[in-house]
Amino acid sequence: MNLPIPFIVLVAVLSLAGTGFYCLLFTRNLIKLVVALQLLVKGVVLAFVLAGHMQGAQNLAQTMAVTVIVADTIVAVIGLALAVQIRLRTGSLDVKNLSKLKR
Amino acid sequence: MISTLIALTIGLPWLGALAVWLLGDKRENWQHWTAISFSVASAVVATMMLWNASDAVGLSITINNVVFGEFNFVADGLGVFLSVIATVIGSLAVIFSKSYMKGEAQLGRYYGFVLFFIGGMAGLVLTSNIMLMFLFWEITALCSYALIAFNNDDPKAVKGGIKALIITSIGGVGLLLGALILFAYTGSMDINNFMANVSNIPASILSVLAFGFLVAAAAKSAQFPFQTWLPDAMEAPSPISALIHAATMVNAGVYLLARFYPVFKEVPYWREAVMIVGMLSALLAAIMALTAMDLKRVLAYSTVSQLGYMVYAVGAGSVFASQFHLFSHSIFKALLFLGAGAVIHSVGTRDMAKMGGVGKKLPFVQWVFIIGALALAGIPVLNGFWSKEAILEAGLSGGPGWIYGIMVLVAGLTALYTIRCVWLVFFGEARSEYHAHKVELPMKVALAPLALGALISWLAVGPFSTLLSEHTLPFHGIETIGIAELFHEVMSVPTLIALVVIALGIILWLLREKLTGVVEGLKSIRWAAENSFGFEAINKAVVNVTNSLAEGLRGTQTGILNWNILGVMAALIVLFIIVVLGA
Amino acid sequence: MWYVLIAVGILACAILAISAKRLLISAIWLALTSALVALMVYLLGAPQVAVIELSVGAGLVTVLFVFAINISGEEVIGEKSPLPKPVVWTSVLLTLGLVIFFILRSVGFLQLPENVSGSAPSILWSIRYLDILLQIVLIFAGVLSVIGLLSNSKTASHVEDKA
Repeated sequence: MNLPIPFIVLVAVLSLAGTGFYCLLFTRNLIKLVVALQLLVKGVVLAFVLAGHMQGAQNLAQTMAVTVIVADTIVAVIGLALAVQIRLRTGSLDVKNLSKLKR
Repeated sequence: MISTLIALTIGLPWLGALAVWLLGDKRENWQHWTAISFSVASAVVATMMLWNASDAVGLSITINNVVFGEFNFVADGLGVFLSVIATVIGSLAVIFSKSYMKGEAQLGRYYGFVLFFIGGMAGLVLTSNIMLMFLFWEITALCSYALIAFNNDDPKAVKGGIKALIITSIGGVGLLLGALILFAYTGSMDINNFMANVSNIPASILSVLAFGFLVAAAAKSAQFPFQTWLPDAMEAPSPISALIHAATMVNAGVYLLARFYPVFKEVPYWREAVMIVGMLSALLAAIMALTAMDLKRVLAYSTVSQLGYMVYAVGAGSVFASQFHLFSHSIFKALLFLGAGAVIHSVGTRDMAKMGGVGKKLPFVQWVFIIGALALAGIPVLNGFWSKEAILEAGLSGGPGWIYGIMVLVAGLTALYTIRCVWLVFFGEARSEYHAHKVELPMKVALAPLALGALISWLAVGPFSTLLSEHTLPFHGIETIGIAELFHEVMSVPTLIALVVIALGIILWLLREKLTGVVEGLKSIRWAAENSFGFEAINKAVVNVTNSLAEGLRGTQTGILNWNILGVMAALIVLFIIVVLGA
Repeated sequence: MWYVLIAVGILACAILAISAKRLLISAIWLALTSALVALMVYLLGAPQVAVIELSVGAGLVTVLFVFAINISGEEVIGEKSPLPKPVVWTSVLLTLGLVIFFILRSVGFLQLPENVSGSAPSILWSIRYLDILLQIVLIFAGVLSVIGLLSNSKTASHVEDKA
C-alpha cells in the first residue's frame, strides 16, 4: 500500500481516541472506565510523536509525550485506588450507585 | 541574595502549612510549635529584606510563555514594607493562637490556612506580574473564607464566610478585567512596564482600568458600597480577625490603589471618586460604630473607617501619608483585635452590654487595649496621631475643603466611639455575672510588642520614607522625611483644630448623662445606622440571587459519571468548532 | 507495510479490550495495545518514548490492574448504558470528524518555539524544567492521595467525618 505514513498513523490515533471515547461514554464499570481512559491517552501519546515526526522536532515532542505518560499513569493509579475503595464501601463497582449527592 | 529572601518569604509559610497539615491533629503541641516557628522564620526573612529593597527585579521565574510573560517578583519599598507587616503580625497572631485555640479540633486546617494566607499575602505585594497578583488575590480570598467559616457547624459563621467570598470575588472580577485589558493594549503583563509606557494606552481604556481597579479595591477593603461583609466576618476566631481583617488582607485594596496611583492620577474624576469613596466609608462606618453593641463589630466598623482615611489620602495625592497610616493602623488595630480576643476568650461573651469592670480582673489587657484605643483616637505621641494628622494635612492641600471638614468630624466621632467602647468594657461595674479567667503567657507575648509599637513606631518615619522613596519606587515620587520635618509639618493650625474636635468627642462621652435629650433627637439616625443605611439589604439581595442561581443550576449535576463525560466532550466539540471557525 | 499491520493491530486490540466480558481479559488486551503503540512510536523515530511506554503501559499499569481486579473481584454489570445510544455515537463521530478537520486544516501553519536543539533529556531538564516540576508535584499528589485512600477503615471513617 502506498499510503503515506502519517495518514496510517493518524488512523491509528483516531481509532484509539474513538474507542476510548466510546467506552468512556458507554460503560458503567469503574475499572473499565480506567481502561478506556488509558486507551485515550495512548492515542494522545501517539499523536504527539506523530506531530514531532512531521515537524522534525522529535526531541521536543518526546519530552511532552513523557510528561503525558507520567500524568496518565498517576491518574490510573488514583483511579484504581478510588475504584477499590468504592467497591469496599458500597459493595459494587457500578457507577449508578454513586449518583446520590448529599443534600 | 534578594531572590532567596523573596523565595523564602513566600515559601516558608507554605512549607509550614504543608508540615502542620501532615503532622495530623493527634499531635496538637507539635502543630502549635511548628506553626509558630515557620511564621517567625518568615518574619525574620522578610525583615532582612528591608535593607535590600530596590527597584530591580528580585526574583524571576521564566516559563517561556508568550501570554503570561515572566513571573517576576520585585522587592521594592511598597512590597517589602507590606510583606514585613504581613509576616510579623502574622507570626504574632500565630503566637496568640497557641493560647486562644488551645484544645480546639482540626488545628491542622486552621494553621494550614493561616500559613497559606501569610505566604499568599507576601506574594501579592511582592509580585510585578499582574496575572500572578490576581492569583495571589484569590488565594487570600479563599483563605479568608475558609477561616471565617472555620467553625463550620455554626450557620452564622458559614453565612458570613460565603458573603465575604461572594463580595470579594465580584471585586476580583474588576482586577481580572484590568489585567486582560492591560495585556491587550501593552502586550505584557508586567506592572513596571505598564507604568513606564502608560502613554501607549488610549485615555478611555485607561479610565475603564482605573475605575475597575477602584471597584476591586473597594470590595476587598470593605469600602463604600461593599462595606457590610467585614462586620459579618467577625465570626472568625479573633487572631484571624486581627490578621486578615485588620492588618493584612483588607490592606490589599489600599495597596492596589497606592501601587497604581502614578498612572491613574491623571484620569479625570478618578481622584475625586477615590476621595468620595474613602470619605463615605469613614463617615458611615463611624456612625455605625457608635450604635453597635458587639465588641468585635465596633472594631470592624472602625477598621472600615480607618481604611476610608487611607483611601482618602491616596485620592488626595499623598501615597506616603496613606502608607504611614497603614503602618500605624496595622499595629494598633491588630493590638485592639488581639486584646478584644483576650477579653472575649476570658469572659466568654462578645456582647458589651454584659461586660463592664473587666479592667479590674484583667489589668494587663486593660492597659494594652487603652494604648491601642488612644492610638486609634489619634491622641498625641502615639503613632495614630502622627499618621492621621499627616493624612489630614495632605487632604487639606490636595482635595476639596468640604471633604476635609467631614474627615475632621469623623476624627471626633472616632474618639467618641473609641472611648465608649473602652468605657463599656473595662470601666464601671459588671453588668452581668461572668467569670474572667486569667490571660496566659502566649497572649501576653503577642500583645506586648504591638503595644510597644503603637507607642514608638512613628519614630521610624525617616527610614520608612527612605524605603518608599526614589530608589525603590521610581514612579511614585515620594520624598524622604525626617522626624524634624514631620514634627514641623504636623504641628500647625489644622492639627490644633483636629485635636480640639477629638477632645470634644471625648468630652461628649463623659457628659453623656446630661445629653440624653440630644441622643433622643438623633434617634432616627440611630435606627438607620443599626440597619447599616440600607446597604445590608442590597448585599443580602446579591448573596440570595447568587445562592438561588446555584441551587437552580444544581439540576444539571445528575451525578451519573457518563453524563459528566458527555458534558466534557460537548465542551471539547464547542472548542474545536470555535478554533476551526477562527483559523 | 509494517505501519499498516500495526495500525490494524491497534484498532483490533482496542476494540477487543473494551468489549471483553471479564476485566482481566480487558487488562491483557490493554497491555497488548501498549506494546503495539510502543512499537509504532519506535518506528516513528522516538526510542525513549517507546521504552517508557512499553515499561509503564504494558508493565506497570497492567500490574496495577491485576491488583485492583484481584481486590475488587469480578462482577457482571448489565450493559444498559445511562446514555441513549444515538447520543453516544453522534458525539463520538462528531468529535473525531472535527479532529480530522482540525488537523487537515492546520498542518503547516503551526510555529515551533525557537532554539529547541539538543537531545530529549537535555531539553527536558533545561528548557522545559517546569514540566519536571509539574511531574514532581503530580507524583507527590498521587502518593498522598493513595495513602489517604488506602488507609484502613478506622482512620478513613474519621477522615469522612471531617470532610
